[in-house]
Amino acid sequence: MTTDIKTLSKVIPVTRRQLLVKGAMASGGLALGLALPGCSTSKSKMTESGSWQANAWLEIDTAGKVTFTLDRVEMGQGTYTGLTTLIAEELDQAPDSIEVVFASAAKVYRNKDYGLQITGGSNSISSSWLPMRQAAASARAMVLEAAADVFQTNTSQLALADGKVSVDGTQKMIAIGELVGLAAKKDIPDEPVLKASSDFKYIGKHSKRLDSLAKVKGEAGFGIDAVVDGMAYAVVIHAPAIGARLTSHDGSVLSGRKGFIAVSEIDSGLAVVATSYWSARKFANEIKAEWDLPEKPITSLDTFELYRETAYSDSGDSVRSEGDIDEGFNDASARTVEIEFELPFLAHATMEPMNCVAHVQENRADIWASTQGPDIAQVVVAKATHLDLDQVFVHSQFIGGGFGRRLNQDFIGEAAEISKNVGIPVKLVWSREDDMRNDFYRPSSLHRMRAAIDESGSVSAWDHHIIAPGVMDYYVWDAAPAMFPFAPKFMYPMLGKVGLVTAGTPMTPADTSAYEGANDLEYAFGAQEVRYSKADIGVPVGYWRAVGHSHNGFTTEAFIDACADAAGKDSLEFRLALLKDNPRMAGVLQLAAEKGGWNTPPAKDIYRGIAAHKSFGSYVAELVELSVESGQIKVHKVVCAIDCGTLVNPDIVTMQMESCVVFGLTAALYGEITFENGLATQSNFHDYQMVRNNECPEIDVHIVESTESPTGVGEPGLPPLAAAMASAIHKATGERQTRLPFKLA
Amino acid sequence: MKFTLNGQSVALDVDPDMPLLWALRDEANMKGTKFGCGMGLCGACTVHLNGQAIRSCITPISSVVGQQVTTIEGLSKGDQLHPVQQAWVEHNVPQCGYCQPGQIMSASSLLNSNSAPTDEDIDNAMSGNICRCGTYPRIRKAIKSASQKNALNQDSEINDLAYEVKV
Repeated sequence: MTTDIKTLSKVIPVTRRQLLVKGAMASGGLALGLALPGCSTSKSKMTESGSWQANAWLEIDTAGKVTFTLDRVEMGQGTYTGLTTLIAEELDQAPDSIEVVFASAAKVYRNKDYGLQITGGSNSISSSWLPMRQAAASARAMVLEAAADVFQTNTSQLALADGKVSVDGTQKMIAIGELVGLAAKKDIPDEPVLKASSDFKYIGKHSKRLDSLAKVKGEAGFGIDAVVDGMAYAVVIHAPAIGARLTSHDGSVLSGRKGFIAVSEIDSGLAVVATSYWSARKFANEIKAEWDLPEKPITSLDTFELYRETAYSDSGDSVRSEGDIDEGFNDASARTVEIEFELPFLAHATMEPMNCVAHVQENRADIWASTQGPDIAQVVVAKATHLDLDQVFVHSQFIGGGFGRRLNQDFIGEAAEISKNVGIPVKLVWSREDDMRNDFYRPSSLHRMRAAIDESGSVSAWDHHIIAPGVMDYYVWDAAPAMFPFAPKFMYPMLGKVGLVTAGTPMTPADTSAYEGANDLEYAFGAQEVRYSKADIGVPVGYWRAVGHSHNGFTTEAFIDACADAAGKDSLEFRLALLKDNPRMAGVLQLAAEKGGWNTPPAKDIYRGIAAHKSFGSYVAELVELSVESGQIKVHKVVCAIDCGTLVNPDIVTMQMESCVVFGLTAALYGEITFENGLATQSNFHDYQMVRNNECPEIDVHIVESTESPTGVGEPGLPPLAAAMASAIHKATGERQTRLPFKLA
Repeated sequence: MKFTLNGQSVALDVDPDMPLLWALRDEANMKGTKFGCGMGLCGACTVHLNGQAIRSCITPISSVVGQQVTTIEGLSKGDQLHPVQQAWVEHNVPQCGYCQPGQIMSASSLLNSNSAPTDEDIDNAMSGNICRCGTYPRIRKAIKSASQKNALNQDSEINDLAYEVKV
């Protein structure tokens, strides 16, 4: 290894030693004797530097410093603090006394819910809740056994706190660092005993984010900040239309220009490499490239035409069927409500544009990137180079916004391809325009909804037909090989096909991305049918915050509001009547209603709406107060109630609700990517607007106390917002909003 | 291209049209200032020019020659955080954190010229900075809390810390 690595982060200094350690892990975590607690009796290890590697997550040195390897990336949602708090609790030492480093790609760090090392689906806390506590409790047990040897006593007489083991009823004490050599020789306990929740010191109480200081000082190292000695800067001239291929270019005219290094044809376009980002960008602007354009470039008009044709020609696959809806619709005394909803493509628009530092050498590749999927990054690098997965070393960095965009690793593949072609390390940085026009967009969709309201004013029949593309069709090609790392490269396309064909069988999970949040509603309808028809115009689609719930939270709740209206009932009462057997959903609705003063009249010209949705295991209700003045919607206040089970960090839950509200508000007011001539019409923040500080409402978050298992918080606050707004807009204007973003007549 | 960066003189051998952002990040190796849009639309690249917030992504380096540039790295005095940074930590403002150096530079510039900003003043000064994580409510609270601390202590650090660069 010849590369010297520098990052500016004081939080995660990547030293040569760590690189070697992590490198070894990446070539197969088990090679280091690492084991999941509770499933092996294999020994823990002392490292070359004399630290104790208690398991894949914890290392304790002779000075007692605890280093935690975080395997769920930090992109704002709070894993850096939350997962460290789980470790801190079982080690009984303050969260801020633990040093956090980011995990490389290794099987042991896979997300158990997915079989991939990805951070997404709001499950970092729920999936780490037991394993991380077990990892720390296992280390604690081994330390106590070591101390029992030292003091010739029983572990029941010992307690570990703040890095010291003390003997009950005596002044005897020993520092954890002095015990690591002995502890390393102890067996990893099969079932480490976890603390009782009544003894929690940090879980449910700790609030300060551990990454704040580095972030306010500008010292947190994001992917875009990574530096490697001898690296050049690269930009990519991307295709002017989805599906276009580069045929020729005049890049050779740049030869000999100061700062110019090379042009390089890559799969997605033409890379320009120079000694600085700015010169690479300027050179790229000078190049004339010719492209083979698709015969029929994608347009937004064609997209919705395709969806409508599909809706009429295909009744869809049943994804939930209960009772006989025809009975309800044929009931002569019933009122029928029908709405067709239209939702747009959306860009992720993370503040940190896609970027990657890649150094491809003969026998290894090193990748520094902000990524939500380090093991999928290995796949794209292997595809772009001659290397195997275990020769690809991924150095994860802080992430300047993910929201699902960084589950796709296309930008990492580009950087690897460029570094391979030019033979030096490169930092690829996308412009905002690259980022917005080369996204894996939130799918657009069409929803045809129909309900029968019987004489009692309840929903006797519910029929929801969803027409949309499926995200897995685009994701499986790089994800499937990451799940089967021993498969040779020529099998990658086959693995992708198998993944698609077997979706919904025990082999592969079903692609629920279009209908999640529609086929799992909590309401007690008389009968219901939820149907899905896949229709795909060819726009690359991906996971976007709340995924299917981002559509279905809006369509189902906006439709419930229309049903309540048809039944002549208050929309809260209407919902509660359908939720008699669902105290948690009813609970958040009642809490939001109470805190938002639902039963008191709003101020003059202020209108209220309420909605609730369950996603990622959590229940969220939102009450919105807004006004409509001269055709402008202004949201003044959002009251949010969430039930996400046991809390690890209450303030981070509140932060995530605030975050989801603002994200949802941007989508409701502005979010729309349209296509003309095969290219996204929008390119930067002037035509793809974000809610800004002056438009941000007061956000009042209330959290239900609960002892249930912890569930998601990064996404569940988003789905109900637009529906609550639609209800208030209906009251203000009499117009029923059936598309996003909202457009007033 | 000579100018003063965080109190130190620097000379960078770059094209005069290179935006200050890239000169700071790639030549002066100050990575705290972030790239977001390249068009002055998002504020991630905000730094101070003679104490005033500017967007470094649309400011050619030639236009800052001989002047005082302060970046997020120059805002605190060693371990002593600027009151705005301190308020940011106290209010748990950052989420992903990418836009926060820009937010903090805009907020500290605001407090420099207006020690007790109203909501409207905050709207005007801060609406050029996008935060995709939605930390706006906390930004507002943190600015108010920093300004109140400033009011309590008139020799506040706000005046002597960040604006040492003022001519």
